[in-house]
Amino acid sequence: MLDFSILTDHLDMYLEGFKITITASLIALVASLVIGILIAVIRIVPFKPLNALGAAYVEFIRNIPLLIIVFFFFLGLRLDGLMAGTIALSIYTSSFIAEAIRAGILSVPKGQMEAARSSGLSYVQTMRLIILPQAFKIVIPPLGNQFINLVKNSSILSVVAGLDLMYQGDLISSRTFVVFDVYIFVAIFYLLLTIPLSLGVGYLEKRLAKSN
Amino acid sequence: MIVFDEVNKFYGDFHVLKDINLTINKGEVVVVIGPSGSGKSTMLRCINRLETISDGSLTVNGISVGDKKTDINKLRRNIGMVFQHFHLYPHKTVLQNIMLAPMKVLGQSEAEAKKIAQKYLEKVGIANKANSYPSQLSGGQQQRVAIARGLAMNPEIMLFDEPTSALDPEMIGEVLDVMKALAHEGMTMVVVTHEMGFAREVADRIVFMDEGRILEEAIPAEFYANPREERARLFLSRILNH
Repeated sequence: MLDFSILTDHLDMYLEGFKITITASLIALVASLVIGILIAVIRIVPFKPLNALGAAYVEFIRNIPLLIIVFFFFLGLRLDGLMAGTIALSIYTSSFIAEAIRAGILSVPKGQMEAARSSGLSYVQTMRLIILPQAFKIVIPPLGNQFINLVKNSSILSVVAGLDLMYQGDLISSRTFVVFDVYIFVAIFYLLLTIPLSLGVGYLEKRLAKSN
Repeated sequence: MIVFDEVNKFYGDFHVLKDINLTINKGEVVVVIGPSGSGKSTMLRCINRLETISDGSLTVNGISVGDKKTDINKLRRNIGMVFQHFHLYPHKTVLQNIMLAPMKVLGQSEAEAKKIAQKYLEKVGIANKANSYPSQLSGGQQQRVAIARGLAMNPEIMLFDEPTSALDPEMIGEVLDVMKALAHEGMTMVVVTHEMGFAREVADRIVFMDEGRILEEAIPAEFYANPREERARLFLSRILNH
């Protein structure tokens, strides 16, 4: 049976970690989405040098371990753990989001771009008003996966004293010499974040499907 | 108004348009016919630079379409385009589809754009579908919305790229009727189509293309009664006698 006194005795630590994990995840979620959209667009604009730059970014970032990116900011640039972890998480996740969004943009029929451009809209207007809204609808499921991964990957903050949920778990465990129960409660806190996220993505998917 | 002067176009080694010379005057309805792959659609799409030309000159109202200095967005405002597969914006309602460009390109207010959109929806006979999404409409209705969307920009020229080829036979008539009405109002129209009845009735001029060349240009009565070119004769006999 789970020892609930572990939870109640260290509730302040769990909650502190939970708060940091939420904060880091939220910041990284927004930042990775913004960077991801930017990189995706850079990869498809009709200008080859930019395309290559975008491709290099994606291939470089997504093919090295997240931990090394964290170390780069933590040990290399000497940022504090929370900051280094959040930035690394944003950059790492953005490379996957860029690929998902690029696939979404490419799956919007070519005729949409032609129809909008032939009505006099600029490339940027067409992207913003016609292509991206349709691409977004297509990429919600893969984007949801990336966000869930992001929340779980935020546990990497614990390695650089990022004060997150996982870090607090480590602390509690080393204080109490309890392993199993401590981390079960940690897992439950992660589920409190990821399950609503999953449900939210599912809901969004259903709602946006209506106009199709 | 639209002048092709020795226009050539290549896709790599493939010579799509060969020495095209064609002048389309204001208020004229020109119907382009010919077998598949003859370059009809490509020629049409050059007019608003959906395709670029490889050499020669193409001007619309005296403005060079291919010139890098030409503000293509400004030129396109004046040229409406209707596609074979409609290309309505699926995430926007019928009304929003029509209002988008007038608001974003011409800077019309929402109220103004809405009034104009409703006017054209009435004109194409589907005012009652204003708040539907494209997926809720039949093909014929979607194509009529696409025409209204083009007209809402108040263009001088309308381009039609096989506007009825993707429609159920029963819906072709309603789209052609809208196009006929437009022709009678004096709109300058370039129409790529296989609808011979429409071509014969509405066109001021028929342009027959094959293998990237304009083989024949004639008024419909002349063209249908007695095509000069052997290839045109063969084409007509194949599509009219079945």
